[in-house]
Amino acid sequence: MTKVQLKGVRKDFGAFTAISQIDLDINSGELVALLGPSGCGKTTTLRMIAGLEVPTYGHILFDDDDVSEVPVQDRQVGMVFQRYALFPHMTVEKNVMFGLKVRGTPKAEIEERLEEILDVVQLQQFRHRFPAQLSGGQMQRVAIARTLITKPSVLMMDEPLANLDTKLRGEMRRFIRELQQRLGITTIFVTHDQIEAMELADRVAVIFDGKLAQYDAPDALYQRPNSVEIADFMGANNIFAAQISASGLATAAFGTLQLDRDIVTVREGAGRILLRSEAIDLLLEEPDGENVIEGTVEGREFFGATVNYTVTCGGEIITVNEQSRRLVEVGQKVWLRIEPRHIWAIRDDA
Amino acid sequence: MARRKFKSALNSRLSGFQKIYLLLIAGFILGPFIPLLIQSFAFRWAWPDLLPGTWWLEQREKSLLPLAWDYVLSPYSRVWEATLNTVFIGLVVTVICLAICLPAARVLAREKFRGKSAFEFFLSMPLIVPEAAIGIALLMIFIRLGLAGSYTGIIIVHLIPTIPYMIRMLTAVYQGLGTDFEEQAMILGASRWQVMRMVTLPMLLPGVVAGALFTFLVSTNIFLLTFFMGQGKIITLPTLLFSKIAGGTLDASAAGITLVVTVPGIILLLITERFIKEEAFGKGFGN
Repeated sequence: MTKVQLKGVRKDFGAFTAISQIDLDINSGELVALLGPSGCGKTTTLRMIAGLEVPTYGHILFDDDDVSEVPVQDRQVGMVFQRYALFPHMTVEKNVMFGLKVRGTPKAEIEERLEEILDVVQLQQFRHRFPAQLSGGQMQRVAIARTLITKPSVLMMDEPLANLDTKLRGEMRRFIRELQQRLGITTIFVTHDQIEAMELADRVAVIFDGKLAQYDAPDALYQRPNSVEIADFMGANNIFAAQISASGLATAAFGTLQLDRDIVTVREGAGRILLRSEAIDLLLEEPDGENVIEGTVEGREFFGATVNYTVTCGGEIITVNEQSRRLVEVGQKVWLRIEPRHIWAIRDDA
Repeated sequence: MARRKFKSALNSRLSGFQKIYLLLIAGFILGPFIPLLIQSFAFRWAWPDLLPGTWWLEQREKSLLPLAWDYVLSPYSRVWEATLNTVFIGLVVTVICLAICLPAARVLAREKFRGKSAFEFFLSMPLIVPEAAIGIALLMIFIRLGLAGSYTGIIIVHLIPTIPYMIRMLTAVYQGLGTDFEEQAMILGASRWQVMRMVTLPMLLPGVVAGALFTFLVSTNIFLLTFFMGQGKIITLPTLLFSKIAGGTLDASAAGITLVVTVPGIILLLITERFIKEEAFGKGFGN
């Protein structure tokens, strides 16, 4: 098992800076997502760890050994490309054996490991097929098998779930997670999809404009983003300007809310408050207590299992998401209630 | 079986107009060969008869074969010698052209460098500058170098019009290949040479075959440059044909030679077509 560290890594392509500076520690056996919009440098980071690019400055360490300049062939890493890059002129079997064959592994050992890995990825009956005859999920399993058979110290994946349909996504997610835990292999994957990052990773590294913006567990990233940019990228839709007082009261256009001062780190000043749309209760009668906002339902979007309401409150629009056990009519007067521990605040200068 | 299927597909999908249009195209392509075929089996075909006055079949006791074919197959026609020269030069040109264009196409498809577009334009110059101009200019130089009238000379001039085509074709193929496959192979531990042999070449093969076929066909069809550089010492099918029809008349033997000239191309096309379409095409590689 391998611990991966990036120390002050920078990458320039001519005059263009892809990564300005990244420090990242990935524990042995951890599953980490590099998340960011396209062009943010996440793929470049992955390629540097793989050895396909050499960092301009800084060092990449595997178990405290500097591998920054070790050629890709000798780095003992595995990578699954977004489009799998299965060799179209080879059968599943030949694809999987490729890595061992080019390294001159004895034939008997290749055979043995082939059988073993084909069982793991459940591809025994497809072994003589060509990639063109496989479905997306099967192709991905071939790509994973082809990589794992070489026993890489680090497994890398580029957008592992992006090319699969919804049903297969769930299946592959469980498959990757289970395999990763069973083998305990350090795994890093790249994605632009925050859902994919959260559903798969132990920790998520958010990269914006070639810089590490936040590195945290999925729930922390979702509940407690450290900038508006990250909150926005993680899919937050209720972000409002507010004045925060020393006593933990946030005053926004629609009213004043009490914050939980054990959770919120902002002490005083101008900032933004973040209300998670699924943490808001939509009530038809005025309740007692604090953190209640009065408003009118402006719109309704029905998604089947859940429903989104847009509620206008004091000139602002708050989105509320709830299970669709009932449907509230547009135009209805409502009261919104949110518990202090579900409110997060970000300072404006952050 | 396959043909019947094709025909029914045609009938069911094409309108009457489309069918007539297809027939016209086929007529324009194949039409010119009809008089050649007739001529090659004629004994005497004088103007203004629409068909030969005397067919070879009627004069069988006078000549064993149709006049045209009797001449073409005899050593006097030098058809055999010209065919061998044509095929030999075509093959050598194709191999050298591939060796030059494969690395060049790789760079053009994948790298960015200053003056790349100017360089690409420069590459297509031979297609713009008239062949005669290139030919005359080179002939002067080649005579001085002693390359005129030699195979080397002819092969070098054949590379001039074939390289632009080949580079364009292979660049497109390389662009289509992308870098994923080669990078994947390297991550799996393959050396540069292993990547080339086990991944790049097998995957480029259809494009390489198409480019090679095209180069061969262009080379076997070049007349003017061959004529200049061959100096009459080395004859190929196009120069032989020219000497036959230079007088302005199309006699039976010229018709025969013309038909022979088309044969290598057609055979090659059929072989390649089959080779490229073969579904099990991939199975022969990477073993």
